[in-house]
Amino acid sequence: MLSQGFVSAAAIAASVLFILSLGGLSNQEKAKRAVWYGIVGMAVAVGFTAFGPGIGGYWWMVPMMVIGAVAGVYLAKKVDMTEMPQLVAALHSFVGLAAVFVGFNADLERRRVLAAEGGSEGFSAFAALVAEKTPAELTFLQIEVVLGVFIGAVTFTGSVIAFGKLAGKVDGKPRQLPGGHWLNAGAAVLSLLLAVLYLNGAGFWTLLVLAALALFIGYHLIMGIGGADMPVVVSMLNSYSGWAAAAIGFTLSNDLLIVTGALVGSSGAILSYIMCKAMNRNFVNVILGGFGGSQGPAAEIEGEQVAIDVNGVASALNDADRVVIVPGYGMAVAQAQNAVSELTRKLRSAGKEVLFGIHPVAGRLPGHMNVLLAEAKVPYDIVLEMDEINDDFAETDVVIVIGSNDIVNPAAQEDPNSPIAGMPVLRVWESRQVIVCKRGQGTGYSGIENPLFFKENTRMLYGDARSSIDSLVPLVE
Amino acid sequence: MKIGAPKESAAGEARVALTPESAQHLQKLGHECLIETGAGTAAGFDDAAYRDAGVEVIEGAEALWQAADVVIKVREPSEVEAARLRQEQTLISFFWPAQNEELLERCRATGANVIAMDMVPRISRAQKMDALSSTANIAGYRAVIEAGNQFGRFFTGQVTAAGKVPPAKVLVVGAGVAGLAAIGTATSLGAVVRAFDVRPEVSEQIESMGAEFLFLDFDNAEDGSESGGYAKPSSPEFREKQLALFREQAADVDIVITTALIPGKPAPKLWLEDMVKSMKPGSVIVDLAAERGGNCDLTEPDQRIVTDNGVVIVGYTDFPSRMATQASLLYATNVRHMITDLTPEKDGQLNHDMEDDVIRGSTVAYQGEITFPPPPPKVQAIGAAKPKPKEKEPTPEEKKAAEHATFVSQTKRQVGMLAVGGALMLLLGQVAPPSFMQHFIVFVLACFVGFQVIWGVSHSLHTPLMAVTNAISGIIVLGAILQIGSGSILVGLLAAISVLIATINIVGGFLVTRRMLAMFQKS
Repeated sequence: MLSQGFVSAAAIAASVLFILSLGGLSNQEKAKRAVWYGIVGMAVAVGFTAFGPGIGGYWWMVPMMVIGAVAGVYLAKKVDMTEMPQLVAALHSFVGLAAVFVGFNADLERRRVLAAEGGSEGFSAFAALVAEKTPAELTFLQIEVVLGVFIGAVTFTGSVIAFGKLAGKVDGKPRQLPGGHWLNAGAAVLSLLLAVLYLNGAGFWTLLVLAALALFIGYHLIMGIGGADMPVVVSMLNSYSGWAAAAIGFTLSNDLLIVTGALVGSSGAILSYIMCKAMNRNFVNVILGGFGGSQGPAAEIEGEQVAIDVNGVASALNDADRVVIVPGYGMAVAQAQNAVSELTRKLRSAGKEVLFGIHPVAGRLPGHMNVLLAEAKVPYDIVLEMDEINDDFAETDVVIVIGSNDIVNPAAQEDPNSPIAGMPVLRVWESRQVIVCKRGQGTGYSGIENPLFFKENTRMLYGDARSSIDSLVPLVE
Repeated sequence: MKIGAPKESAAGEARVALTPESAQHLQKLGHECLIETGAGTAAGFDDAAYRDAGVEVIEGAEALWQAADVVIKVREPSEVEAARLRQEQTLISFFWPAQNEELLERCRATGANVIAMDMVPRISRAQKMDALSSTANIAGYRAVIEAGNQFGRFFTGQVTAAGKVPPAKVLVVGAGVAGLAAIGTATSLGAVVRAFDVRPEVSEQIESMGAEFLFLDFDNAEDGSESGGYAKPSSPEFREKQLALFREQAADVDIVITTALIPGKPAPKLWLEDMVKSMKPGSVIVDLAAERGGNCDLTEPDQRIVTDNGVVIVGYTDFPSRMATQASLLYATNVRHMITDLTPEKDGQLNHDMEDDVIRGSTVAYQGEITFPPPPPKVQAIGAAKPKPKEKEPTPEEKKAAEHATFVSQTKRQVGMLAVGGALMLLLGQVAPPSFMQHFIVFVLACFVGFQVIWGVSHSLHTPLMAVTNAISGIIVLGAILQIGSGSILVGLLAAISVLIATINIVGGFLVTRRMLAMFQKS
């Protein structure tokens, strides 16, 4: 058994390592080292805590850890990069569920300790801690339990639904029970009442019902949000899973849990903020679902969509010196990233400059496109952010838009009545020619007509993105 | 329908309205194509090429006019040709109805429908059939080539062993389609190009082609653009300023290409005799407006003249015909697009829809009626966009004041937030036990550290960031570990499940992060 001093030292070391691990993600090369800091930090934290004072139940703990580790390895090996959003959502749900269980346990232990009345023999590490608490501290413990269980439960069902939507197992369209957000508000008020009851000494059932209400809120809230808003939702759930861990940390008086939870929570909050800003919407608007009503009739679009075939695209590419590719979720759906990578390789070996422009909300997860392109062996130094590339479109010969729509919509900047007015977009139309790879005529996720498709320098390449690009590759010299 | 292209009867006209390529497209629409023997020879398409494309070659103009339901031509019909028109026949060609009223009346009397390619309205949908633009494009290109032919020096500047060669200086007056094409050609030959236009909004287009826009400082900010994207006549004061600018340029430039035209009016005189006099010997003026009287005082249509001081003035009016192959290819495509719009069902039947803006606008005679001039199009013309109002540059003082104001408001907000936060802490400290406050300090500090650290994360690594935060939020396993040794079976069971799923999180999260990061490769 290690003394409490060792455990505390380990907690400090682990906190520092976690911070280094997150900070290292500032660039790709550092990040490869930084992930090891995280792994070592976690090993230290778990190892020292598991052999700390007052810990028992190894017969339960060790087999569970082994099974969990095997499952984790299996998941990590088998997951496709296009499935990353689902995996992240699924892992969030685990954290949420664990937070609920640990919160329940904390309350059960509290009751057991109170019932035992004196003598801290035979108590586990946590129960021993509870036994020493003053009544005021116990009240705060209850508040922390309520918070931990509530946030955990919302995170759990929210993540499960987000997983379902991302994996295509649940319909991606926003869907709500009659009553809409009033149901959520009602459930929240009821939860507050139950929390007050619980704090005033009502039985364990209050906590259970509260958890059930929170589960409902999580389910109903995320059901009401559409597929393309998932980057915000997943970041938000990421944040919640952190706050849940922090709340449990307070309950257990464990600083390492608090620090880690706060790190994760703020990370998720910042990601949500970046995503919202990239859509020019505020957080509440995204979570409550639906685009804001437009302030007037949208500008009329004149012109027509002009189609082009792969031969035309190939000759445009052969004449071009500088090509920018703008991928979106459609590229991931069509699994076209390898074909795109092959095209990039050929164009680059022909001495052309090829760049990628990534909008912050392209895909279903922050940074999703970067990972997909990296997997397809596109070098990361030609994959640029929106702000880095937006001023360069005027000097670009050909822009290929693959499976993205709203993030290249000029209405966002030109039409103040457009529902997405003010959203920062990639200004692809400033280039000499734009080629849009699209399944067919129709609007994007937001249902907004895209004037880009009607511009004079735009040509539409209809059909499945993957087969289009595949047939394009041999035609490029 | 049978679509026939006769040989052009006008002297020196080498173009043809049907090419083997456009014939193939027309046949896909269900039409049959006819051509007069030798019609395409001057443009580089012999009869065999037409036959290969499935076109029927007909001997003699008379027979062709008889056989065709639709006659496509380049130039307006001659009197003989107009007499060959008949009821229900359609003629598609350049027509210039404003200048050729008598001819129009003659055609109307035959009962034939006449579509004038020069009347296609300037809206974006009709650009593909805008023959004026494609003709002007060729004229602009050829004007530079012609100037180079007459000019005794290089266009591009060079430093050679035999001495330094300065680049030619080219001035393009009028930046319409022809002017822009001339700018593009001259810059790509390496010349220093300047351009002038009365419409200030074209300055961006001029600069995008690599030329310098000669800015005319005129107080009344006269806007020379009119709806329809064409220029309008300017006021006398404006004209004086403009001429002064040209006078200044005349002594400096080597080549002048004038393209200024105002719809329905004779070409404005912009390059006066005294300017020609002040030019260097060997300089070249190409006047693309020669057909309409010329922009230069001394221009003689269809002639190349040399002035006393050795300036060459080219007044050819047949630039497109001098590039007959290219001109025919483009014109035939314009005509083909017009016929495509006339054949909406692709069934080989003409549907002359007078409700359609483009067809209505370009039809000058229809079923025995003169339909010129057309009513204004329903869709507004392109190019009528107003020039952007110039944004006022803030003075340094204003900038400073604005910066100061934002600084003050930011400070106020920050101090306000800190005050509110501090007050809340104070309140919390009143009720919360000291042990809680200790943990709370840790929590707040960790949030701050988190915010600072995460802002530095590269956008491209957001997915790995989520995966790694996923892994470390598995730290909740510590909570379960602390509880798992409890005497209560229920608590132990819940804790065990928590350990299991949190471990999946930790291991899965870290491994998948590692896998992702390993994929990021530099080129």
